[in-house]
Amino acid sequence: MISKTFLKETKELLRDGRVRIAIIIVLSLLGVAVWISARHYQNVNEQYALAKTAERGIWDNQGEKNPHSAAHYGTYAFKPKYPLSLVDQGVDKYAGTSIFLEAHKRNEAQFSAAADQTGLARFGDLTPDFILLFIIPLLIILLGYNSFTKEREMGTLTLLKSQGISGWKWLMGKWAALFLPIFGITAVVFLLAGVLLGNLSDFGVFRWNSLLMLFLVYMAYYIIFINIVLLISSRTKKSGISLVVSLCVWIITCLAAPKAASNIAETKHPYPTRQEFAANVLKDKKEGLDGHNPWSKEAKLLEEQVLREYGVDSLHQLPFNFDGYRMQKGEEHQAEVYFKHYNYLKEQYTQQSRVYKGLAAISPYLPTRFLSMAIAHTDYDTHWDFADAAETYRIATQKFLNDNFAVNSSYGEWSYRADATTWKELPAFEYNPPELNTILSRNSSNLGILGIWLLASFGLLLFTSKTI
Amino acid sequence: MIITNNLTKQYGGNTALDHLNLEVKEGEIYCLLGANGAGKTTTINLLLGFIPPSSGSAFINQLDVQENSKATKQFLAYIPENLMLYPNLTALENLDYFSGIAGKTLSKSDLKIVLEEAGLEQEAFENRISTFSKGMRQKVGIAIALAKDAKVLLLDEPTSGLDPKASNEFGLLLQKLRSKGVATLMATHDLFRAKEVATHIGIMKDGQLKQQFVADAISLPELEKAYLNTMEYKELVP
Repeated sequence: MISKTFLKETKELLRDGRVRIAIIIVLSLLGVAVWISARHYQNVNEQYALAKTAERGIWDNQGEKNPHSAAHYGTYAFKPKYPLSLVDQGVDKYAGTSIFLEAHKRNEAQFSAAADQTGLARFGDLTPDFILLFIIPLLIILLGYNSFTKEREMGTLTLLKSQGISGWKWLMGKWAALFLPIFGITAVVFLLAGVLLGNLSDFGVFRWNSLLMLFLVYMAYYIIFINIVLLISSRTKKSGISLVVSLCVWIITCLAAPKAASNIAETKHPYPTRQEFAANVLKDKKEGLDGHNPWSKEAKLLEEQVLREYGVDSLHQLPFNFDGYRMQKGEEHQAEVYFKHYNYLKEQYTQQSRVYKGLAAISPYLPTRFLSMAIAHTDYDTHWDFADAAETYRIATQKFLNDNFAVNSSYGEWSYRADATTWKELPAFEYNPPELNTILSRNSSNLGILGIWLLASFGLLLFTSKTI
Repeated sequence: MIITNNLTKQYGGNTALDHLNLEVKEGEIYCLLGANGAGKTTTINLLLGFIPPSSGSAFINQLDVQENSKATKQFLAYIPENLMLYPNLTALENLDYFSGIAGKTLSKSDLKIVLEEAGLEQEAFENRISTFSKGMRQKVGIAIALAKDAKVLLLDEPTSGLDPKASNEFGLLLQKLRSKGVATLMATHDLFRAKEVATHIGIMKDGQLKQQFVADAISLPELEKAYLNTMEYKELVP
């Protein structure tokens, strides 16, 4: 009975001109979106590779220079575009692509794609994630809203009942007929993305298992939508009402809930303004050691402490350049200040994420979106991870330079120049995004919520089949 | 095959069916005559198990409809006044689906034989139902009953709206089913068709079975007179 119903429903769907047109439109949009994303991915990563090589060349070829001058000269940490950003661009557009690494200061990522666009960018881009998250659920509604109501309206339900139809088998046949085209469309798109990524220059680390996981997350999302749409269709008497209710669910799930979540999260756990953040950092920095100021109270205390530790009377008697040492200590204090304030931001972000997860109870869109971005390495967690890695590299760079200054010169020798080959000794910045297992473990709550949605919607649907 | 014992259905204070007792045996065609609201469709809905009785019981092939709703379905076929099939599917596809739902798996050639037996012209087999007349749809309905090998046929105003030719063909199909031993209960307004096809005729009014006849024992004018008297259309009685 399941296969008979599946075949009957599929024939009916395929013979409905509206459905054929809708499927062709969605497939075309997805094809175009994937192609645009692939081009964008290739362009950005070509620029990334060029910029990374060029910047390293500039660093390596500074010539003879005082290490602290080199510290102020600075360098850049570039964030690559990861392969699965082809499917979900996440927050990449807004998060910035490079961080300037310099002495005394932790900088924000800059040069975001959004900053390079005009106000027209507010209309949004045609990206695969937009179609996967918003349009395919609409297609599910279009295909399934009248799945049961049409039987009532056409009068075929009476005949089916008289034939002794089994409710759950009938339902599973209809479910399969709705699932298969959605599975087919999604599989084709992911396969296309996989083939494209497999043939593009491997700027990032493309792994089929990550793509498969992303596919499974989207399939879970669609199955939830299929269950909800069939549930509505089975409980309403008219197709028009079923369509309106299904569309209301889509509006709440995909549009209202994420925006409401964003507003609630921001209200409950607000981020400090940029000015507040900068003022707080400056205040804390001033309360500690400034490596550039040998006359401050903190610098004098450090001086006394070091002299006592080495049992000498003068900074000139120290086996290293105290200026370099002080610079490093100042750097360590500033790094701590930045660590504290960025940790506060992270804490606020974590609290905001909890609000989102709480609201995921009313919208399967939220856990799907978080998982999708995380697996694609385009979420804020990955961006934080990258920013932290860049900061760790900045701190290591400053230590490398200050140590060179302290060890190879004597106190007051500001004219010291490090050898031109010194800069090449500093390892290049390399950032590896978290592996799939780490991502899944970090997002276990999102996986759990999606799983609950899946089971609950299936349970309700099967329970309803008894009363059809 | 079909037995009702004091079958009663009440909706609030209204009695739609009042202690109905009837029996339709193998190879019999029982026509229930009556005006709208007489209780004919309620009887069929109770026999289908679509609604529960207020009291009394109904049996299909010796099985209580209420207790064995699913099991009784395997013996019966139902054709409503407006048989609705899937308009985007062909006659063959509809027959294949509905017989499949009933647990019968027939090959395409078997399905064609059944459709042919139901009187559908061969050219129509592969046509979509949306192009079919009501008479053609009713033939597909009969084909569904044939494919299911139903022992009991429940018909609710099946000839309503059919042209005389189609109505006549439908009558012949019922005779064919009768010869196969199918017990048929048909609700109708059509006295002429009832007299032509039925073995037994009952006249209902206000939920009660007022009169019963053996069809061969009564002429059409007598049946008409009995009907009009029962309905209390005295001014129309010749």
